[in-house]
Amino acid sequence: MDDALVQTLIIGLSNGLIYALVALGYTLVYGIIELINFAHGDVFMLSSMLALSLFLGIGLTSETPLFMAILIIIIVLVVVMAVMATINISIERVAYRPLRNAPKVAPLISAIGMSFVLQNLGLLWMGPAVQGFENVIPNVNVLTTVLGLDTGISITYKQLFVAVVTIPLLIGLTWFVANTRQGKAMRATAQDPNTAGLMGINVDRTIALTFLLGGALAGAAGVVQILFNNATVYTLGFRFGLNAFTSAVLGGIGNLSGAVLGGIVLGLVNAFSDRYLSAQWTNAIVFGVLIAILVFRPTGLLGQQLADRA
Amino acid sequence: MTAGRPTVQELGGPRLPPPGFGGWLQHVSEVASRWPAAYRHALATRRRRTIALTLVVAALLVYPLVNRFALAGFSRNVFPLPLPDDTIMVFMLIFAAMALGLNIVIGFAGLLDLGYVAFYALGAYTAAFLASPHWGALGFDIHILTTVSSAVPGIHLPFWIVVWIAAVVAATFGALLGAPTLRLRGDYLAIVTLGFGEIVPIVFKNLVNVNFELGPIKLENANLTGGPLGINPIDPPTLFGVRFGAASGIAPVYLAMVIVLLCIVIARNLERSRMGRAWMAIREDELAAEMMGVNTVRTKLLAFALGASFAGFAGALQASYQGATTSDFFKFATSILVVLMIIVGGMGNIWGALVGALALVYVDKALLPYISQRVQDVGESIGWQELADFNVASLNFLIFGVILVAMMRLRPEGLLPSRQRAAELHHAPPTEALGAEALLEPEAVTLEQEVSADLEAAAGAEADRDTPSGGAGTDHRDRQGPS
Repeated sequence: MDDALVQTLIIGLSNGLIYALVALGYTLVYGIIELINFAHGDVFMLSSMLALSLFLGIGLTSETPLFMAILIIIIVLVVVMAVMATINISIERVAYRPLRNAPKVAPLISAIGMSFVLQNLGLLWMGPAVQGFENVIPNVNVLTTVLGLDTGISITYKQLFVAVVTIPLLIGLTWFVANTRQGKAMRATAQDPNTAGLMGINVDRTIALTFLLGGALAGAAGVVQILFNNATVYTLGFRFGLNAFTSAVLGGIGNLSGAVLGGIVLGLVNAFSDRYLSAQWTNAIVFGVLIAILVFRPTGLLGQQLADRA
Repeated sequence: MTAGRPTVQELGGPRLPPPGFGGWLQHVSEVASRWPAAYRHALATRRRRTIALTLVVAALLVYPLVNRFALAGFSRNVFPLPLPDDTIMVFMLIFAAMALGLNIVIGFAGLLDLGYVAFYALGAYTAAFLASPHWGALGFDIHILTTVSSAVPGIHLPFWIVVWIAAVVAATFGALLGAPTLRLRGDYLAIVTLGFGEIVPIVFKNLVNVNFELGPIKLENANLTGGPLGINPIDPPTLFGVRFGAASGIAPVYLAMVIVLLCIVIARNLERSRMGRAWMAIREDELAAEMMGVNTVRTKLLAFALGASFAGFAGALQASYQGATTSDFFKFATSILVVLMIIVGGMGNIWGALVGALALVYVDKALLPYISQRVQDVGESIGWQELADFNVASLNFLIFGVILVAMMRLRPEGLLPSRQRAAELHHAPPTEALGAEALLEPEAVTLEQEVSADLEAAAGAEADRDTPSGGAGTDHRDRQGPS
């Protein structure tokens, strides 16, 4: 393999991990209440703005000593995740819970409305211009500087950072859903909320927990976004959200490992399209992929029988 | 009609005109011929709606004239609310045509289309291609029945032909989009249409430097769509020397009114046709409709195609009226704005869609800028700089988002609902709703409800067995969960 190809793979992989974090939020919610949570991308956008203002408020710069910087990032990560989890639960309470018994289109339209509300709150907060942030994590090639390898391929600290934050979260979430009592309740509710309720599961609380997890993951993704891509803007949620949703669908919506796989595949699609075609066509290609999967394989790569409902 | 009971007509009672727009016209002409005694009679009896409608139509016809010649100068300070000017009126009507078209797709057929703006773009670009100097640069020079001088290069067709071509192009793409999505329902359909609505403007934006060679066709660095700058200028509609462009005062308002009137007539006739009833049947229960012999494939494709054709009209009008079009006009937000018009007005109701469109464009383009100006004035006078710089109108989609959520919670059937649609939106079929709340209050479930739920569940399971897509041995409530 030549260096350019490997490099594109690495770029795609690190972007794909961020997609995966946001895609998990879509897939969790869809799995449990069959709602495409349009507002989720905008929760992610707000979380990147919150992270930006916290970093600026605390005064994190590239001059900050390493230990302090790590501490600040961890604190901000926890704070943003908590705030976004709260916001996501509130959204569920306000916009979706009252529509639990309405036809499926009602919560979907409500979600679109919520998405516009959040997007415009972002516009009010930071204005229409792209907000940049300085490069705190050095964009230095680990392979050549630290390991001393003689190669044209570069893996930067930033890309490692993405992996260090996202992979434990992905593993943690999968473990939580698979092994805890609450995770079991989530799976039961997803399978059949009525029966789950009869078995003594508090359905409302379980759904709220799902939104909490989704919000927290979107919060983490926002922090990673501001440190990795160094920019945020109020329209970020729509574009990024659709990419993440496409990832979720690609992997098989409702399927956790599918969302991660889908995110990585979509990150690669993006990276290859940027490199070998043209960046201006990337969005069209992503939407084309989305349409093709929904039309030809609505169950996604790993999904199961959803075709009937699709 | 039961046998043996004579009808009103046979008893010598008043003869009722046929329903629909034709009936209304006939009634009006009859009433006019028997003026004034009959009109007084009509007023006294049951045709209050006719009279109200006549008055509203008359007011709408006269308003642009009055606005132009009497109100334009001093509206700002005299009236409590801003008056729409010519441009705003034209856009109110353009969006009315789109809302009527989307109402066919969402309101009648129940197919949630979130990419309707794509057809608006297709209509606008069709008009731009067929009536502008744009293609002159590529050596096309066609003048047919046009008042544009033959010295001007490019393709120039009259608007009156272009508008139909635009509708046909939009309808064709509507059917093309519809074809692969027939299997999809509900939210997946919404996402596919959304994707299509995003792709179309991207394509128009990016086809700037096209290099292409196929047999005799050879393009080198060809600018097909004008790219981010769009196409400009586009010929305005012209009839007997009257121009209907943005600079022509009230003439385009009347042109837009004619187009909207045409859309209303088409939509009303479609609603009452066999096809209209088929749309409503698949909206309420696709499987049952199919069992009753409704050809769902044809029905859905026609809903998409006919709905899209209205956006084709609207797009051609927008491009010809403004004399310019760019891909930036066609955003996701515009699609949602049209959806919101139907939701506010009332899904499935033509008058609802019309009122919703007029009201929302008025709010968006007249009321909010006006409020914004007032707020800024107050800010200036009390010396609060932040307030003086604050633009309320830029928050339009914040307000529309809140309206969307609020409508869904409080009145999902809209302000002027169609009775059937309202009933559907308040009672979800048992397979769609989660029913979690009912479960938390077991005492609320009566025996009767349980029995009927059981019956429905049984019917649902039955139906699933009949559907080929039902999959191997799935219970119809079986869901795919996080795994």
